[in-house]
Amino acid sequence: MKLDTSGFETTMPVIGFGSNSEMLDGVSSVPSFDLPRTTDFDGFQKKSVEMVKPAKGTTTLAFIFKEGVMVAADSRASMGGYISSQSVKKIIEINPYMLGTMAGGAADCQFWHRNLGIKCRLHELANKRRISVSGASKLLANMLYSYRGMGLSVGTMIAGWDETGPGLYYVDNEGGRLKGDRFSVGSGSPYAYGVLDSGYKFDMSIEEASELARRSIYHATFRDGASGGVASVYHVGPQGWTKLSGDDVGELHYHYYPVAPATAEHVMEEAA
Amino acid sequence: MSIFEYNGSAVVAMVGKNCFAIASDRRLGVQLQTIATDFQRISKIHDHLFIGLSGLATDVQTLYQRLVFRHKLYQLREERDMKPETFASLVSAILYEKRFGPYLCQPVIAGLGDDNKPFICTMDSIGAKELAKDFVVSGTASESLYGACEAMFKPDMEAEELFETISQALLSSVDRDCLSGWGGHVYVVTPDEIKEKILKGRMD
Repeated sequence: MKLDTSGFETTMPVIGFGSNSEMLDGVSSVPSFDLPRTTDFDGFQKKSVEMVKPAKGTTTLAFIFKEGVMVAADSRASMGGYISSQSVKKIIEINPYMLGTMAGGAADCQFWHRNLGIKCRLHELANKRRISVSGASKLLANMLYSYRGMGLSVGTMIAGWDETGPGLYYVDNEGGRLKGDRFSVGSGSPYAYGVLDSGYKFDMSIEEASELARRSIYHATFRDGASGGVASVYHVGPQGWTKLSGDDVGELHYHYYPVAPATAEHVMEEAA
Repeated sequence: MSIFEYNGSAVVAMVGKNCFAIASDRRLGVQLQTIATDFQRISKIHDHLFIGLSGLATDVQTLYQRLVFRHKLYQLREERDMKPETFASLVSAILYEKRFGPYLCQPVIAGLGDDNKPFICTMDSIGAKELAKDFVVSGTASESLYGACEAMFKPDMEAEELFETISQALLSSVDRDCLSGWGGHVYVVTPDEIKEKILKGRMD
């Protein structure tokens, strides 16, 4: 059964994944995927969308401040109630000066971020200059828009430093793209926003900003069942990104709220 | 998520040498949001009989109150405490009374019977008793708990070792469950004393 795939065609030369073209490796335009041959195409699509379960159980956040962009995320992957992993890398390194965060389907985020990284590199080679954060996020948003309604689950933030300074964009699977100073994405985002918004100042040092980011993620992991594991904090500055810390959230709790030792007996102390 | 997973819970009981241990997590949540980290799931019926209830929190509290009421009446009439086997039959009957509109809980009963022989059993929400000689589990983390207990359990453990084993089994299982955890509560009961301990766990 040949399906009508004219919606996938663009004005640019379409080179599919499987084709052997000597010029390019098939990523200059929208990659095309084989469609399944079934009798009930819509029913099959519906079942496969439910299987992917776009629950966005996670907490990621990013904000712009005086010294650049701070990006932080937890590391838990959950399938319904089951924790499938406590050590997922949710901050994806697109290139040495741009980071993307992962919320939603892990496979979707990993694939599309890597695809974006390839496109950014091709842009650099073709134009002899780095792509702007605005341009990179636009590329991603356009690609996700063309797959709108097909069940992709991507809630990502693109953070980077380009010629205009620090940049932060939110891009999601609906094709939405928003420019902003502070974002948090995922099921734990309301809790992270609470801590982030009350502690935020533009004039923070890198240490203060990283502590704010780590605290926000910690509070979100405490309240949200679908967030947990390790709180990773990255900083994007003019020289690119650096990973600042990766603290286990279980230990962070007792660091912030130490268990007060019960007074068994009162000790005779010397008068000060 | 089903209604049994609305609040999130984990309860486990294990048999030792003339003693038993019963443990639960401490989280009360509303689906993914955590509301409290000090929720009581295990309650004492009398000095040698404990019941832990997993499932919907409102039914946990109501069912506990009903069972305490019935036991107090029994004490007044019989002038003695109920045996664990009898209590298990009572719980099973009370649950089956609501067969077509059940209490959405799964109880875990642990007690010391005649000659201080430990007794444990669990039930589904309509009163099907499951007696075991080694351990019983219930709650959202039950599958992980089955695995952990199966691996760590040894027969005829003394109270100290039993405490260690049940704590490790509980903590490692709830660390794989989004809906339970945030600390642990363990009771180790021997013929002479009840030891109650709070466990320090991962708070995520």
